[in-house]
Amino acid sequence: MAGIELKGISKSFEKNEVIKSLNLMIENGEFITIVGPSGCGKSTLLRIIAGLESQSNGDVIIDGREVNNIKASNRDLAMVFQSYALYPHLTVLQNLMVPLKLRRMSTLERFPIINWFFPNRRSKIDKLKESVLQASETLQIEHLLGRKPGQLSGGQQQRVAVGRAMVREPVAFLMDEPLSNLDAALRVHMRAEISELHRKLKTTFVYVTHDQAEALTMSDRMAVMMDGEILQLDTPSEIYNKPASLRVAEFIGSPKINVLPAESNEKGDIDCMGISMSLSIKDNKNEKILVGIRPEHTNLLQDNKKNCFLGEVNHKENLGSDIYLHVTLKDSQQKMIIRSNPDISFNTKIGEIIRIGFDNNKVMIFNESGQNLNKKS
Amino acid sequence: MSNTRSHIWFVSPAVLLMFLILILPVFVAGTFSFTDYNLGSPDFKWVGWKNYESLGKFSSYKKMFTASLTYVVIVVPVSVLLGLGSAMLISSLRFGGELYKTVFFLPVMATLLAMAYAWEFTLDPVIGVINKFLDDGCSVGWFYKLFTGSWLGFNPTESWYGELCNDRMPNWLGNKKYALGSISFIGIWQAFGFNMVLYLAGLTSVPRDLYAAAEMDGANSPWEKFKLVTWPMLGPTHVFVVTITSIRSFQVFDTVEALTRGGPSKSTYMMVYAMFEKGVKQNLVGMGSALTIVFLGFVLILTLTQVYFINRKVHYS
Ligand SMILES: Nc1ncnc2c1ncn2[C@@H]1O[C@H](COP(=O)(O)OP(=O)(O)OP(=O)(O)O)[C@@H](O)[C@H]1O
Ligand SMILES: [Mg+2]
Repeated sequence: MAGIELKGISKSFEKNEVIKSLNLMIENGEFITIVGPSGCGKSTLLRIIAGLESQSNGDVIIDGREVNNIKASNRDLAMVFQSYALYPHLTVLQNLMVPLKLRRMSTLERFPIINWFFPNRRSKIDKLKESVLQASETLQIEHLLGRKPGQLSGGQQQRVAVGRAMVREPVAFLMDEPLSNLDAALRVHMRAEISELHRKLKTTFVYVTHDQAEALTMSDRMAVMMDGEILQLDTPSEIYNKPASLRVAEFIGSPKINVLPAESNEKGDIDCMGISMSLSIKDNKNEKILVGIRPEHTNLLQDNKKNCFLGEVNHKENLGSDIYLHVTLKDSQQKMIIRSNPDISFNTKIGEIIRIGFDNNKVMIFNESGQNLNKKS
Repeated sequence: MSNTRSHIWFVSPAVLLMFLILILPVFVAGTFSFTDYNLGSPDFKWVGWKNYESLGKFSSYKKMFTASLTYVVIVVPVSVLLGLGSAMLISSLRFGGELYKTVFFLPVMATLLAMAYAWEFTLDPVIGVINKFLDDGCSVGWFYKLFTGSWLGFNPTESWYGELCNDRMPNWLGNKKYALGSISFIGIWQAFGFNMVLYLAGLTSVPRDLYAAAEMDGANSPWEKFKLVTWPMLGPTHVFVVTITSIRSFQVFDTVEALTRGGPSKSTYMMVYAMFEKGVKQNLVGMGSALTIVFLGFVLILTLTQVYFINRKVHYS
């Protein structure tokens, strides 16, 4: 178990700067998720921590020790790859034995023929096998030990990959989108299993994903990463409720947050597209601002209230528990997505004009450059 | 299948061609191998297994099998390992890889017959570059020491090179002791570029992630990674390369015809050359056919071995 600290890490591939002077402090035993859109440098960052890629600048510190010049094989971290990267010519048992053999037995003990001269080699291997069996019991893959990776389903391969990381009790686990090759149902299931594993092992987990649902459900803290920078590092609920910037707000939350143009008058009261929002701000008076309303904080109004938008329904998505209405606001081309209760909106038709209400307390206010203004006040 | 017969018309040209071009000649050769047929003679006699029996009886055929098998046993492992080694070196290069690929592949593209004459000059006992070089080396102190092994404390005049210096340099193609080795050397020189290209293709299909995984698992040295990832992941390539090289080595003909004609004293009397000599030069079609059938048998065994390995061992699913 160990904490991991990144100090001013940057990485360029030729002229392309993929990671820009990034700082991150990962606590001992923490489950931290790095989430961000495709190509933002998540895998690169993870590979830098692992030592598979060298940073252009900055320090990687594991357990208080600077490891910049220590090879991946000596950092005592384990990694689960998106492709699982199991050795296809070895059985599951042999796959799980590899990290143990490589670390607990000397080169000579593993060398063909020469190893005959090591009398206690057998008992050593038996001991290693025991820890493999223990790990496979935890992951419920005992019945697969004799098979080759090619004979396993995606979910089973995933478990084996986790098992291979687990057997040698590393100081931290690094996982690079380990669930992205699984189907939706299995992904939800494995999410719970990995969280459970973390609770059991109490080891540091660094988990990379582009799926915000995984980040929100599994992590102690999550880091939202874009274009090689960490935009915000906080607990999932903090990031969901108080995103530091519009980019974070737009990335976290599904469907995406609605962003409407608005302005504040000299008293700080906010007027959004002709609707006075009974909200005010202290700074940024008399300015053009942006208002963010999450679809889940809107609703369909049946009676006429003061604070409501009018809009025409373009499209309707029925998810069973919720209905999402895609709406174009009246007198503008502004689009919005509304969540509504199926009991209310079951017979809403496309083309119909509806009244849209929202939860005033949950409205987020951003200035034009995208900074969150609620957060400060 | 429907009850019309049109499908027969569609497949018949291909089946007919396959029969005429591929199967019929083998069948004809098989038939001739039981006769004493001579090209040009009006009739022939059935001789049963006599042709095959003589393969086991006469010393020239025994020498033929020895020469062919020795050639294969030398050329296959050396050219395969050289091919693998050079492919791994080239694929680890940052730049210059293209140049090496082209240079090593040149012998494969060049006509072996033309190259054989170039080798004849190079290996010539009197005017050849190699012997000139070795001759001159006798009077260069460190070179002489290195090759006689006297730097290890051996008696220089008793060593192979030391004796040659006192006598004269070998006749590489004309001496029974060296001819097969020289022919094998040319075979390796010619084959390894091809193997290198096959291995280069094989190496590109090894997933990068596996090397990363091996490193995370604690594979420290290049040797560990080679053992854990490269070698096993090249399994299908190994089978293909070894089979192709074995078959091509069995087929060696150009160099033998151009440089030694099977000599001296049949030390380089390879199978295909023997087939050519019996069947074409000496008009003994019956004997030539028997040799052809035995040769096909060897190739068939190699091919079946390949099929077996591809289906069983190296197929990772
Ligand atoms: N070896 C490399 N050489 C050059 N550029 C690279 C290399 N590896 C990654 N990149 C670039 O670095 C950027 C970040 O890549 P990275 O793999 O870290 O993205 P990611 O966030 O993991 O994306 P994804 O979610 O799709 O896996 C990309 O623009 C990619 O093109
Ligand atoms: Mg990635």
